Amino acid sequence: MMPDAWVSTLVELAAGTVAAPLLPGIIQAVKARLQGRPGPSPLQPYRELNRLWHKSTVDPDGSGVVYRLAPPIVTVSLLAAVVVVPATSFEEVSPLGHDVLVLVGLLALARFSLALAAWDTGSGFALMGASRDLTFAALVEGMLLAVLVLVALPSHSTDLGTLMATTSGLAGWGGALRWCALGAFGLVVLAETGRQPIDNPDTHLELTMIHEGPLLEYAGRDLAMLQWSAAARHWIMFVLTVEIFLPHAHGMIPQLLSELVGLPLWCVLLAVIETWQAKMRLLAVPRLLGAGTAIALAGFVTWFIGARP
Amino acid sequence: MIGLAAMAAGAALVALGSGLPYLARSDRYVRPALWAQILGTTVMGAWGTAVFAGAGTLGVPFRDSFDPALGVDPLSGFFLLTLAVVTVPALGFALGTLPGSRGARSLSALTGAFILAMTGVLVARDVTTFLAFWELMTVLPATAILVSHHGRSARHDVYVYLATTHLGGVGVWVALLALVRFHALGDPGALAGRAETLQIGIGLAALIGFGTKAGLMPLHSWLPRAHPLAPSHFSALMSGMMIKVAIYGLVRFTLGWPARSAALLGVALLALGLLSCLGGVLYALVQHELKRLLAFHSVENVGIIALGLGAAFILNANGDHLWAALALAAALLHTMNHAVFKGLLFLGAGSFHSAVGKLDLDHLGGLLKRMPWTGGAFLIGSMAIAGLPPFNGFASEWLTLEALLHGATSTPLRTALPTLIALAGLAGTAALAVLCFTKVVGLVLLGPPRREACATAQESARPVLAGLVALGTLCVLLGCIPGILVARLVSLAPGGPVRLPMRAGMDIVGTGSFPAAALLAFLLTGGALLVLLRSRRSAAPAPVWTCGQPVEVPLRWTSAAFTKPLRLLMEPVLKPERSVDVERNGVLVESVAYESHTPHLFDTLLYRPVVRAALAWAALLRRIQSGSLRAYIATLLGLVIALLAIARLGLMR
Repeated sequence: MMPDAWVSTLVELAAGTVAAPLLPGIIQAVKARLQGRPGPSPLQPYRELNRLWHKSTVDPDGSGVVYRLAPPIVTVSLLAAVVVVPATSFEEVSPLGHDVLVLVGLLALARFSLALAAWDTGSGFALMGASRDLTFAALVEGMLLAVLVLVALPSHSTDLGTLMATTSGLAGWGGALRWCALGAFGLVVLAETGRQPIDNPDTHLELTMIHEGPLLEYAGRDLAMLQWSAAARHWIMFVLTVEIFLPHAHGMIPQLLSELVGLPLWCVLLAVIETWQAKMRLLAVPRLLGAGTAIALAGFVTWFIGARP
Repeated sequence: MIGLAAMAAGAALVALGSGLPYLARSDRYVRPALWAQILGTTVMGAWGTAVFAGAGTLGVPFRDSFDPALGVDPLSGFFLLTLAVVTVPALGFALGTLPGSRGARSLSALTGAFILAMTGVLVARDVTTFLAFWELMTVLPATAILVSHHGRSARHDVYVYLATTHLGGVGVWVALLALVRFHALGDPGALAGRAETLQIGIGLAALIGFGTKAGLMPLHSWLPRAHPLAPSHFSALMSGMMIKVAIYGLVRFTLGWPARSAALLGVALLALGLLSCLGGVLYALVQHELKRLLAFHSVENVGIIALGLGAAFILNANGDHLWAALALAAALLHTMNHAVFKGLLFLGAGSFHSAVGKLDLDHLGGLLKRMPWTGGAFLIGSMAIAGLPPFNGFASEWLTLEALLHGATSTPLRTALPTLIALAGLAGTAALAVLCFTKVVGLVLLGPPRREACATAQESARPVLAGLVALGTLCVLLGCIPGILVARLVSLAPGGPVRLPMRAGMDIVGTGSFPAAALLAFLLTGGALLVLLRSRRSAAPAPVWTCGQPVEVPLRWTSAAFTKPLRLLMEPVLKPERSVDVERNGVLVESVAYESHTPHLFDTLLYRPVVRAALAWAALLRRIQSGSLRAYIATLLGLVIALLAIARLGLMR
């Protein structure tokens, strides 16, 4: 392992860790403006993390080691995921590699730990959220893999760095493939980060919770870790969107610049969608995800009919 | 020569262990007999491993003659290793539970015989020996079930098991005898000159024959009936190994299939594999009994193996030897991994059974606190089967997904589209397995005990624990060094040697690399650091939040509740039946009775009509069996004349 690789991995990890909470912060701030409220500043998530860090935690009656270990496990999985997603395609290879299927596995590990914590407390609301989350995850993961094939078609690779390099420029945008990939991946992003219309991160009504449900019992540093993890999910998904699925430049500095511009813009777009769309009925979500998978399959077939060299 | 002697000595030890309690007519010898079996299996596994690692083939290669012949090559060696890995802990479990129980002598004898039969299939080098051991391997578990269960329903399930596997087993006979006929046994490449319909016919016969035994849907109906019934160490052997022996058969006789029909067989494998994956996990999700649930997961995992094999066929037909070899390695690696974690889960379920009695999912709970070692091992096995990093299930699923992804991106549309669908389906399956095992772990290990027996459960006996802990360790170990096995497994592929560097992780061109050991190290150190960072944990105890309502134990979540969103989603496919009876007294609800049941549609929609039709035909044929001697003589005479006529006309050429 080259020392360069360690340096770039550490920079990556630090940048991702620090910047991640900003993304949901921007969404909240923009959303408030669009709804005509002054709203919090984009830095609000940092303040909340700070506040939570100095509060004591809560152990529900009867909960055990699984409940206590879940926040660190979720957080470390997301940290590993942040390392696996490179910020540009010109980095040294990280010690954890840059494979997209490893990323999917790490996200599943986080989901599993949190759902087990829900079982450990036995809280009905937590279990409700967990069971919905895991059910949708089955559809989302199927769709995610189909979308990944779309962008992996030219390069035959699942290396995220390679994918970022081969999808750069405006070359493929004349065909249907890229548009289908973008559309389907947009849905993956909404589902993975728990945004409207699939889930409402601001809800205070336990019965409608999906991602928030399993967090109900947590407090203090535990909750801080879990909230950071939710923000890290935004970071990972948004970086993938901007660097693979949206048009982006090639080269180290242009890629960093396109992230600097693209990430906030994508946050604004999501805020607009959230303002404009209400949360969907629970059983309508699978239909939406099914439509996304159909779009991905359609894009796949167009590649073979038209654009293949 | 030493190798052959060691194999023979190992087999003799197992045989001795199998016969000893019977010959001595005393239960006192059950324990030494099981030790002898452990020793024998270990010796055979060790030599199998040596051959797999490259120590040179033992005995003769596969041949077309009918004369009995034995031998071990790297492929057999790998399966012998797998056999030992499951069998030794299973025998440890038997050591802890069998002595003193009903039918101990018969069961220990049957266990030894079953191990020998599976070994026999793996080392057979001609069609006669293979088929003889194959049939023996089918019959022995049936006997073991009947030794431990006497009820009518058990007899019926055993009947279904024997009937299905024998009817499906016809495919094995047809395929093998046809391969012998065309001198292609052990070298299907020799079929290349034959007609394509013939190749496809033989391939499909093999697929049906071995697929039935492996439990591929829709030929799986026997599996969820037979596996839960058998004594737990037998279940572990059946799910862990017996169905893998069928995979061995499939790999053995179809590896290197001529390219022209390979793509089609590959697509057929993908279709059956995908159906097994999704069907297996969906039906597992709606089960309420732990061992039955695990049996459905065996169907799912055999489906994953079939997907890997299918990808290998398709990629091979497309000339992509590297990824074809990797796809084959993925299938074989998953075979080993599934043997490890499914053996662990069945033995764990057996331990819970010994500790608390019934394994009804809704009436367990709290076992992690009361049986920490068994529970911990079971938790690791659950995470492994759910395909979560850093355990072994993830490594093989990762490689299978990668192989499918490369099949989808680099082959023509007619194979790429099925591969893409299989890929998406496999990803969905993996996520559903996470849902299912969250439910299992939550209901069995976590929360408060839901039954008196669970509150007073005791940790399992030493030898049982040793086996469970060993398998749990293997789940971690195989998850952290999968690359070493894969580097050997790719060399088994036909069509040019494929070489990969011996590394712990899998750093393969076309992937972003999966450094398994580094990942484990990162998760462990990172997790430990975070726990330290959280430090001083001043936690306030509090009741669980239920919007201020009192927490009531009868209102706790059940297995059915947790999978409700999925059941609603899959209603058109699963067709669950439910009835709600509300008794009212005026406006007051006095009682609510809720019952829901998900029928096994393969049984009701597929098997039942077939069985009914078969019985109708049988009734028609029964008329010949009138009991009148003259009618029998007339039938025989007619048969002889018909045969003579056929021979004379030359129709049998």
